[in-house]
Amino acid sequence: MNPNSIIVSNLSKKFSFPVKNPSVGWVKNLFFPETKKIVAVNDISFSVKHGERIAFIGPNGAGKSTTIKMLTGILFPTFGKINILGFDPTKNRKKLAYQIGTVFGQRSQLLPNLPLTDSLEFFGVMYDMPEKEIKKRIAELVKLFDLSSFIAQPVRKLSLGQRMRAEVAASLIHKPKIIFLDEPTIGLDVVAKKMLRDLLLKINKEENTTIFLTSHDVGDIESLCNRTIVINHGVIIKDLPTKNLTKTFIYEKYIDLVALSNFTIFPKLPEGITYSSKDKNKITVVVDINKINVQESLKKLLDLFEVKDIDVYNADLETVIRHIYERSSTSN
Amino acid sequence: MKEARLAIKIFKTLFQDCIQYPNRFIVDTIGILARCGILLILYSYVFKLRDGVINNTTFLFVAWSIFFYFSFSILKLRDISKEIMQDVQKGNIEILFSKPIFYLSYRIWWQIGLGIYSFVIITLSMIIALIFIIGLPPTMTIGIFIPTLILTFLCGIILSLFLYTIIGLLSFWIEDINPIFWIVDKTVMILGGSYLPIALFPTFMFKIALWSPFGASQFVTHTVYETWQTNWYQLIEIQLFWIVLLGLVVYFIFKKAKQKISVNGG
Repeated sequence: MNPNSIIVSNLSKKFSFPVKNPSVGWVKNLFFPETKKIVAVNDISFSVKHGERIAFIGPNGAGKSTTIKMLTGILFPTFGKINILGFDPTKNRKKLAYQIGTVFGQRSQLLPNLPLTDSLEFFGVMYDMPEKEIKKRIAELVKLFDLSSFIAQPVRKLSLGQRMRAEVAASLIHKPKIIFLDEPTIGLDVVAKKMLRDLLLKINKEENTTIFLTSHDVGDIESLCNRTIVINHGVIIKDLPTKNLTKTFIYEKYIDLVALSNFTIFPKLPEGITYSSKDKNKITVVVDINKINVQESLKKLLDLFEVKDIDVYNADLETVIRHIYERSSTSN
Repeated sequence: MKEARLAIKIFKTLFQDCIQYPNRFIVDTIGILARCGILLILYSYVFKLRDGVINNTTFLFVAWSIFFYFSFSILKLRDISKEIMQDVQKGNIEILFSKPIFYLSYRIWWQIGLGIYSFVIITLSMIIALIFIIGLPPTMTIGIFIPTLILTFLCGIILSLFLYTIIGLLSFWIEDINPIFWIVDKTVMILGGSYLPIALFPTFMFKIALWSPFGASQFVTHTVYETWQTNWYQLIEIQLFWIVLLGLVVYFIFKKAKQKISVNGG
C-alpha cells in the first residue's frame, strides 16, 4: 500500500484575464483585450502521508487556495501531476470526491432554510450512501461534534461556531480519507476555534483522516498540524515539522529585564539589540542573534541596567511566520 | 439509479423548503394568476370588438394557448441561467465541484424542483377554473391531445433547460450574462406567444417561431389549435433536432467551461 495519500509533482497554475487598456478604444478592449498572466502556483512538489496533519500556510495571494482547489479537482493545473489516493483529480474528479471532504471557511455548503439534519441527509444521498448508513453516520457525527442541541434548527439560525462545526460534520458524512480545510476558523471566537481544532484532532486520531489545512491563524497550525508547508509567490519556501518551525527560524531572542527599583533612563543599546518595549518596571529588548549572541547581549545589558530578574525567550510562532513571509518577499 | 435517487432527494428537500416559506409560494401564485388573468381579460375584450373571431381563431383557443404558455413559465426553467451565473460569480461552484455529482444535471434537477410544486398546484387549479369559465376547445378532447401534449411539454422542458444553460455557461467567460439573458428571454417570450398568441402571428414571424429553438421551446402553446392534429409529429421532430443540437453545444461549452473556472482565492 502506498504510504502517501497526496503526491504533487511540479505543479503550476497560471491565470490569464483581460485588462482594460485606457489608451485604446472600447471596441479593441472588448474584442481584442490585452491579457495579463499571473503565475499563482509555480512548480511545487510535495507528498503527504496517510494520517498526517498538514498546515499549508502563506500570506494572501500566495497560492494556498489555488493549490487546494487543484488537489480537489476544482481547478485544472496548467502543468504538473497530482495523485490523490491513487486518483488524478483532473480525470477522476467524481471518483476522488467520494474519498475526500472539503470545507471552505468562507462558503457554506449547507441548506440555509432547512434543519441541519436535512443537509446531512442530503449529502449522504449525494455520496450515494444507503439510508441506514446515513442515519448511523449522522448519529455518530451528532455525538462526535455535539450537534444534538441544534440539529433540528434551520442552518441560517445557527451561530458561526455552530455552523462551522456543522460544515465540518457535513464534509465527514461519507468518512473521507482526507479532509481539505480552507481557513476553517475564519471569524470564529477563541472558544469556537478551540472546539473545532479539538474535533479535527479527534477525527484524525479516531478515523486516521489526513488533514490538509490552510489558515492564517497560528493557533490552528500550532495546535493542530504536525507538519507545515510554507508557500509564497506560488513557490514552496519551507516544508518542515511544525515543532521545528520556531527552532529553525530563530533569528531573534527576546529578553525581559525587570527593574531592581525603577528604570529612569533608556540608553542607546549596542548594535544588534533594540528596544521592543520600554517601561519603568520592565524593558523588553530584541536581540538579533546573527549580530550578537545571547551571552554577549546579557553581559552588555547588565552593564547598562540594574535588574531584579531576567527572562530570555524565543519569538512566538506568529513572529516566526511573519519573518519567513518577509524574508521570502524581499528575496523575490 | 444514483441520479434518480439524487433527483428525488432534491425534490423532497425543495418541497420541505417550499413548506417552510408558504408566503413566497402564495405571492408567486398570485403574481402568475394576475398576469395571466389580465392578459385573458384583455384578449377577451379584443375578440369581442372583432365579433369573436380574429385570423380565423376564437378566444377559446387563444385563451388556452396563453394559459399553456403561463403554465410552462411557472416552472421557471429560465432561472437556471442566473443560478449558474451566481455559482460562478459567488464562487459556490467550487462547493458543487468538490462533490461526486455532475454539476449540470444537479443544477437541472434543482431548477425543476424549484418550480414543480407551484406548477402542479397553479396548473391544476387554473385548468379547473378555465374549464368552468370558458370551456374546452374541441381540439383538446381528441385522443392524441394528452399524449402529444405531454411529449411536447417534456421536449420543451429539455430544450428550455439546454437553451438557458448555454446562456448560464457563458458566465464562465463573461462577467455578466444579464444582457444576453434578457435578449434570449424576450425572444422566447415573444416567439412563444406570451404577448401575442401564435395564432395571431404574421406569417414570417410564425415561421421564425416554428424553426427557431426559441419558439420550439414553447410548442406547448401550439397544441390547442386544429393544425396540431396534423403537424404535431413535425413540430416534435423540430424540437428533437434542437434538443440534439443544443445538447451537443451544452456538452462542448461545459467541457471548456470546466477549465475556465477561477474563483476568489484561487
